[in-house]
Amino acid sequence: MTEATLTPTKTIDERGKICPYPDVDTMTTLKKMNKGEILEVLIDYPLSVERIPRSAEKNGHKVLSVKQVDGPVHSILIEVLGNK
Amino acid sequence: MTPIVSGLLVGVLFGFALQRGRFCMNSAFRDIILGRDFTLFKALAVAILVSMIGFSIMAMTGIITLAPKPFMWGANIVGGLLFGVGMVLAGGCASGITYRTGEGMMGAVTAVLGFGIAGMMTATGILNPLLKSLQNTKVMTADDKPLTLANIAGLDLKIVMLVVAVIIIVIWALLAMRNKSAAPSYGTKAKSLGEAVFKKGWNWFPTGIVVGLIGMLAFPLSAAAGRNYPLGITGGWINIFQSLIKWQTLVEDKLKVTALNWEGAEVIGIVLGALVAAWIAGEFAIRAPEPKILLQTLVGGLLMGFGAVVSGGCNIGHILSGVPQLSIGSIVGGFSIVAGGWTMAYFMFIRPMNA
Repeated sequence: MTEATLTPTKTIDERGKICPYPDVDTMTTLKKMNKGEILEVLIDYPLSVERIPRSAEKNGHKVLSVKQVDGPVHSILIEVLGNK
Repeated sequence: MTPIVSGLLVGVLFGFALQRGRFCMNSAFRDIILGRDFTLFKALAVAILVSMIGFSIMAMTGIITLAPKPFMWGANIVGGLLFGVGMVLAGGCASGITYRTGEGMMGAVTAVLGFGIAGMMTATGILNPLLKSLQNTKVMTADDKPLTLANIAGLDLKIVMLVVAVIIIVIWALLAMRNKSAAPSYGTKAKSLGEAVFKKGWNWFPTGIVVGLIGMLAFPLSAAAGRNYPLGITGGWINIFQSLIKWQTLVEDKLKVTALNWEGAEVIGIVLGALVAAWIAGEFAIRAPEPKILLQTLVGGLLMGFGAVVSGGCNIGHILSGVPQLSIGSIVGGFSIVAGGWTMAYFMFIRPMNA
């Protein structure tokens, strides 16, 4: 799969949110998604930009990319693999 | 070096390290139960160990005089619990909301406002009677010294600190050798040292080392300014707010100290250091959560301010600076902060997530 072909199934906007809402929102959204779907997280909180990929991998999902979009805003792409 | 310059210097370094290492104790403790993530907790443990060894050696060589905080069980427990509850609502500990103010996060700014206001109300204002009655639970040694893990057993504090640190390091090293963790598959490695320091988030290990070293630098510099204690946050914010509001009174009273003291300058430095770090890394932006959350962080800050002043220290004064000196008051205060934080995190995040 090349990155150009990646279209997120769902995008959540976590910009401006405080600790640890971005993490909690990401994990609850991932839980509700189906295997193979892709979640995009838009986020500007530096701690969670590093922590969300860590916890997604821990839960068996695949982190496809972590990209800086604009200033502190990052886009994290996660492929749902940990769910049944 | 004047107290203001020396405080600013330590603060700028501390703020830079806090921002780069994303060093926040609210996260360090909460992540253990929310997601079983020990990254920041390990950074904190390294910082405490470096300080413990550093303070011990500096005390042995006469560079500093150790200054453990007194044990006031009622104040340490009640204040610590309320501080712990407050930091979860505020989305950051005392150092967390301070460095995030420098990142431009308005949720942290309202938390800091609540923290400073409630701190002043408790230190010199309407809530002071509550502080007095809670701090009336002070227990000292027979010769009126603050209780530490060393003097309750009749041992020398400097030596016990060194021994405790070495024992923890040996146990940790043995545990670490048994379970090695793999490198993550995503992300790119820094291409140069400059990029690693200024652009990328720091790993937990260098973060802990640097924070510990800054604590060691802070102790003698702060002592030279007449405040014999390492890093702190609570007293600094109170000092900044009081200087702003009561500057004229303080100057007219011809107090020996200037209105702004070492700790106040240190806290200003933290905000500046974090701002510079965030700016260089492209992580600075003025942003705000929804209004309801701004109110939540304000309330969290108010609880933190009351709790920290009653308890005689926040997570920095007690956990980062007091635990390395094995002060019973700081250890009890620290555990109470964790207990309050975990209880609140359970009801706010863990239970709703598993529902």
